[in-house]
Amino acid sequence: MSGNAIVDVLLGVAVAIELLCCLGVAVMRNVYDRLHYLSAATSVAPFLILAALLVREGLSSQTLDAIATVAILFIAGPLLVHATARAARRIDYGRPGVAPKGKEE
Amino acid sequence: MNAFTIAALGLLAGFVPLGVVVLRAREVDALVALELCGVLATLCLMCLGEGFHRGVYFDVPVIAAVTTWIGGLVFARFLGRYL
Repeated sequence: MSGNAIVDVLLGVAVAIELLCCLGVAVMRNVYDRLHYLSAATSVAPFLILAALLVREGLSSQTLDAIATVAILFIAGPLLVHATARAARRIDYGRPGVAPKGKEE
Repeated sequence: MNAFTIAALGLLAGFVPLGVVVLRAREVDALVALELCGVLATLCLMCLGEGFHRGVYFDVPVIAAVTTWIGGLVFARFLGRYL
C-alpha cells in the first residue's frame, strides 16, 4: 500500500467518524447521550488525521504543531465533557452533592 | 485539490447538523454542539494547513483548540450557575 493510499484511507476514516459524531449529536435525545459523541470526536478522529500528516510529512515543525493540537484536544476534551455534564446535571437536578427536594434522608 | 483539502471540505459538512442543534435544542444541548463545532473547526484548519502546504497555518489550530476549550468551560460554568 503506497503512502498516498494510506493517507487517503486515514483521512476518509477520520472524516467519516467526525460526521458520524455530528449526526449522533444531532439525533440523540438528551444532553448526556450527546456528550458521548463529543468525547468520541475529540479522542479518535484527531489521531487519524495526525497519523495521515505524519505519513505525508514525517517529523517536521508542522507535525509538531499538529501533535500539540491533538494533545490539547485529547487532554482538554474529557475536562470539557465533565464540565458540561456537571452544568447539565446542575440545571436538571440542582447543585451536585445536594440531594433533590423530597429525597433528603 | 488534494486529499487534505477534500477532507477539510468533508469536515465542513458536519457543521450543518450541529447548526440545527444550536438553533433548535435547549441551551446546554446547544453548548455540546458548539463544543463539537470548535473541535471540527480545529481539525478543518489543520487539514487546510497541510492542504495549502503553509507551515505558518499550523499555528492557527493550536490557538483554536485552546480557545475552544476555554470558551467551552466558560459557557458550561455560566449555564450551570445562571440557568
